[in-house]
Amino acid sequence: MKKNVILSLLAAAIPFVVGGCATKAHYIQTGGRESLVTVNSINIQDFIQAANNATSDLLASGALDKVPNPPAVLAISRIVNNTGQQIDTDLLTKKIRVALLNSGKAQTTTTLGLGGAAEDPMAKGLQQENEFKSDQKVTRTPDFTLSGKIIQTIARDGNTSQSTFSFQLSLTDAKTGLAVWEGEKEITKQGARPSVGF
Amino acid sequence: MVLFAVTGCRTSVNTVENAQKEGQRQMVADQRVITDSSLRKKVDIVGINQAMTPGGLLKIQIELLNHKGSLQRFSYQFEWFDASGMQINNVASPAIPDQIEGGESKFISGVAPTPACKDFRVKFIEN
Repeated sequence: MKKNVILSLLAAAIPFVVGGCATKAHYIQTGGRESLVTVNSINIQDFIQAANNATSDLLASGALDKVPNPPAVLAISRIVNNTGQQIDTDLLTKKIRVALLNSGKAQTTTTLGLGGAAEDPMAKGLQQENEFKSDQKVTRTPDFTLSGKIIQTIARDGNTSQSTFSFQLSLTDAKTGLAVWEGEKEITKQGARPSVGF
Repeated sequence: MVLFAVTGCRTSVNTVENAQKEGQRQMVADQRVITDSSLRKKVDIVGINQAMTPGGLLKIQIELLNHKGSLQRFSYQFEWFDASGMQINNVASPAIPDQIEGGESKFISGVAPTPACKDFRVKFIEN
């Protein structure tokens, strides 16, 4: 009898336990403390942190200041995704580009891309038209290219899961082909995997 | 058993360094606003020094000390201001998660996003 009463009370409490935690949809600060953290994927705060680290490191190195006609011109090369997650690498590179442009230290070309593909085909067309009309080459050759790789390393021990995401970037002098700056930011996340999943 | 439970998480960092320093830190007079006195004991600001990068950007370094005997997780965020005191929006200025071991002294640093940055503020929050 006593057992039945306890079971009835538990059954009655289930809707409160399940429903009580539901939160109304609301806005949070992008990359802020309330952001969701998942172990096996790159979260937006990870991209922001990696981009911030790369930008600060690159600006502090002074590598961009060594061009004859500042600001330096940058072309974005290949960013290899070696993680188990499908990601748009612009989430990393765009933040770096914006920060470098705002710093006044570098500008990025949108008419020269990997394999000859322009990020902005219309700008490339207009540029070619201007060059044809004026019979002069107005395109500025990039001083540097930015390339990199994102790597995921996974470790598991019992119910604990760990992922390290390595954001590796290289700035190469387009004239010499030598890397004049290289940066690496590693972000490690650890968490317990639920023993029973849905 | 209780003794183990209480002292089990306490770890503290021992350090050694050269006594005769070659480098001279350019210390910055600071102004603090403390609203979390508990965090102050775990992530205490020992001092702030600054330097200029080769490209003319302000670089700030802050020395932190954990007076407690256990690891503390916290986040910090740099804010930058121009000569008019206006905040400079930086697309990549995140709240950076970090941790400090018990008794550890560590440095965090930030580089101004533009040469126009003259002042800074750093926010700390317990995680």
